[in-house]
Amino acid sequence: MAEERIGVYVCNCGTNISKVVDVDAVAGSAMQIPGVAIARSYKYMCSNPGQEMILKDIQDNGLTRVVVASCSPRMHEPTFRGAIKRAGLNPYLLEMANIREQCSWIHDDAAAATEKAKALVHAAVQRVKFNEPLESRSAPMCPSTLVIGGGVTGLTAALELADAGQQVFLVEKQDHLGGNVARLDLTAPYLDSAQDILHSWISRVWSHPNIRVFMNAELTALTGFNGNFKPRLRTEDGESLELDAGSVLVCTGYKEFDASRIAQYGYGRLPDVITSFELEAMLRNGTLQTRAGKQPRYVSIIHCVGSRSKEFHPYCSRVCCTAGLKYAFEVKSALPAAHVANLYSDMESFGKGCEDFYRKASEARTSFMMFDKDELPVIREAAPGDGCNLLITLKEQLSGEEMEMPADLVVLMVSMEPREDAARLARLVNISSDKDGWFIESHPKLDPVATTTDGVYIAGACQFPRDIPESVMQGRAAVARILAKVAQGRIAIDAVYSEVQDKLCSGCRTCFSMCPYGAVEYLADKHKSHIISAVCKACGCCAAACPAGAIKVRHFTDEQIYGQIEGVL
Amino acid sequence: MAVRANPDLIDELQHFGAKDAIKCYQCGNCSAACSHSEDPYVFPRKSMRYLQMGLEKPLRSALDPWLCYYCGKCSEQCPRGAEPGETMMGVRRWLTSQYDFTGISRLLYRSWGSELAAIIVVALLTGAGFLSFGLLGGGGNLAVYDGPGAFLPPHAIHVFDWTMGALLGLLLSINCLRMWQFTMHGEHAVPVPFSLYVRHLLLLPLHFFTQKRFRHCEDKTPWTNHLILMFSYLTMLTLIMVFLKEMQSGPKVNWYAHSFGYLSAIGLVATSIFAIRGRLKKDAAYHRHSHESDWMFLGLLLFVSITGIIQHVLHRAGLPMAANITYIVHLMGVVPMLALEVPFSKWSHLAYRPLAIYFAQLQQAAQAQGIRPSGRLAKLNPVA
Repeated sequence: MAEERIGVYVCNCGTNISKVVDVDAVAGSAMQIPGVAIARSYKYMCSNPGQEMILKDIQDNGLTRVVVASCSPRMHEPTFRGAIKRAGLNPYLLEMANIREQCSWIHDDAAAATEKAKALVHAAVQRVKFNEPLESRSAPMCPSTLVIGGGVTGLTAALELADAGQQVFLVEKQDHLGGNVARLDLTAPYLDSAQDILHSWISRVWSHPNIRVFMNAELTALTGFNGNFKPRLRTEDGESLELDAGSVLVCTGYKEFDASRIAQYGYGRLPDVITSFELEAMLRNGTLQTRAGKQPRYVSIIHCVGSRSKEFHPYCSRVCCTAGLKYAFEVKSALPAAHVANLYSDMESFGKGCEDFYRKASEARTSFMMFDKDELPVIREAAPGDGCNLLITLKEQLSGEEMEMPADLVVLMVSMEPREDAARLARLVNISSDKDGWFIESHPKLDPVATTTDGVYIAGACQFPRDIPESVMQGRAAVARILAKVAQGRIAIDAVYSEVQDKLCSGCRTCFSMCPYGAVEYLADKHKSHIISAVCKACGCCAAACPAGAIKVRHFTDEQIYGQIEGVL
Repeated sequence: MAVRANPDLIDELQHFGAKDAIKCYQCGNCSAACSHSEDPYVFPRKSMRYLQMGLEKPLRSALDPWLCYYCGKCSEQCPRGAEPGETMMGVRRWLTSQYDFTGISRLLYRSWGSELAAIIVVALLTGAGFLSFGLLGGGGNLAVYDGPGAFLPPHAIHVFDWTMGALLGLLLSINCLRMWQFTMHGEHAVPVPFSLYVRHLLLLPLHFFTQKRFRHCEDKTPWTNHLILMFSYLTMLTLIMVFLKEMQSGPKVNWYAHSFGYLSAIGLVATSIFAIRGRLKKDAAYHRHSHESDWMFLGLLLFVSITGIIQHVLHRAGLPMAANITYIVHLMGVVPMLALEVPFSKWSHLAYRPLAIYFAQLQQAAQAQGIRPSGRLAKLNPVA
């Protein structure tokens, strides 16, 4: 170890670092540390000249390890790992000291910040001495995909994958394909028939040689890891079937809010208060009428039923404004003499072509009444002399008047919510859900269809309320991710993962319960735990929990951590 | 208690010319553009909203529509092309029909056929009445226009016009009383003590004669025209009701009476032609839409002005028979115009407008004294 020759590179980051931290003093102090052969500061270490400088030093001065004191490793660790790799060093022989986010950006006191930067550099130097060269590996993968959910998203994804020549297993819990879209009549904004949209896809899915459809089937277990999953299904016949799938795509969609939870709307008690899906069925069957079989003269559409509410769902369900405006337009077209009112608290008919429905609905002479979302309208039965079935009382916001509106038919725009078995499925495929129960993506902007479990993807309205175009887009985006992996043929396994040292492991399985990624398996024959490196994210929970200290996290060894701690003190 | 909405209201108002209130999305540009709109009389926005909501009662008790002079600024600013100015005009027509207890107003406004029929019937009755009176009860000789033995002697006409004036005045007064009942005891009204009614009474003649609020509109032309029209009309009315003898004297011109007559005639003809021309050319927002009642009003006004002039000229030209016949034709225009429009239609706004300004001022004065609404609103928003 004494013969290690370490290079320390202190970045000015323009003036981001140097305006607070005395970078030359940091470099000077680093020179004093035993083992440091060279220490320099430079304007932009990440720039080409900066990288060239490191590369040249490694070659000319025989550096064996490198410390870069600059920004967060999340930003430029791959850059500097690449640079030292080009000079012939193993990329894991690099250590970074974050003297920007953890120092210059957050401190005003220049002298203290400089001292802190020196300490961080010292810690990095003491750690890098113990770094070991590591190699990434890859494993073969199975090109087939398990698609869970046969709604519009699952159908799109299945066809796209199958058309690309890959095997797809499409699992649908219900007895029909098409999901919630199959319950719709015409779709916004161009009033295409939902049945027409679905029909060609469903028939293609059934006849596609690369797609195997499992109806009335359910996923019961998922073992294996990215590239080599072993999903277990319970089929229609009640049999248990194990498949091989390299990827899993979850597109289980949503269910609608139970409108009877809002007592003052009287859903379930008042027969002429119906949900949006019930209206869709009426429109599809051409029977737009009250329970008594009469043509409604007054139709009210209540928006945000369960959405944007303190009591129920805080989020916006996103498609209901447009759908409600579509209904206003459709009802008015079917019954020109009817009075159609939209009762809303917020109106946002977002999306391409959807604003047109707001215009169409108002041009069709439908009215808009605004209520406060904390003071919902109340629906009650009308008296025989009122000339209508129902009376809606609301405090109208734009006029400030408390009014009572006649209604014969009230349509509740029920919100979207996660399916009742979403939590169970999330546990099965090892993905997480947010506080409302929607599945969480890996990154909301940069990685929207991946999850924290490699090889498991999510798409469509199981992730958040989505309209049809967005669901289709997400389905196709997930397919792009899967096909990119298939095209590589093998899956890369990170060099950093935890390992069980067999001779120390007692098989207590403490690590098993600690692992958030399901990476630990128990080898019953050897009575030992084993970590699947392809699944492991090197979070270190198992290593910390292991009572025998039997687990070693590569690149985060005890020596490295202790070295870093000593360095900083 | 919540106000029961009448969703048919907006369709009902269409017959009165308020055609596109449904387009409004309550952005408030109209009220911002209006130099008269201010709290609590935020118009046209609020009236538009009441219409959309079908809130018949609050709309009926609103004073706002009468505070608008229809300069058309709002209609120019409306991003939805909803023409709120015309809606206010329509609401004023509807309010006129609401104040009218006989139901005649509603009938005339809703159907131009009825209006035309009513004019023709009244005109024919008038013609037949004066002809038979002239032949049987008056001078008896169609060739005598003035002096003793005149076919239609001024004193007899006076009996008729004062009777008609009293009758129309009575009808209009009852309608004004109903307006008072609706607006001063409406949803948002506060009870006004009698002393305030007295203290502010001068507002009535002030606004009646000057229409000074109209002056605040950005475009001053309508105000000038309106003032000329009104003074010409009032002068002519005074000449007829009080100085008919002088007016019918001659054939020598009586300059003391006739010079006033000439000025008013010029004023009436000029302003009605100006308005007709504007409406035909649709030269301004306030001329873009014409309800049937607008055409009837302007048509009759021009008709009576011209027949009045012709009658006068014929008499001076020494053609008494032709003058008498024209006189009867003239009355066939005057009587339907006044009988139908003073209590039931356009002319009634001469009373409603100053009253609305007076009532609005009384409301504000009462509120300034700390008096609170006693109606439904008080129960909704109790004051601590």
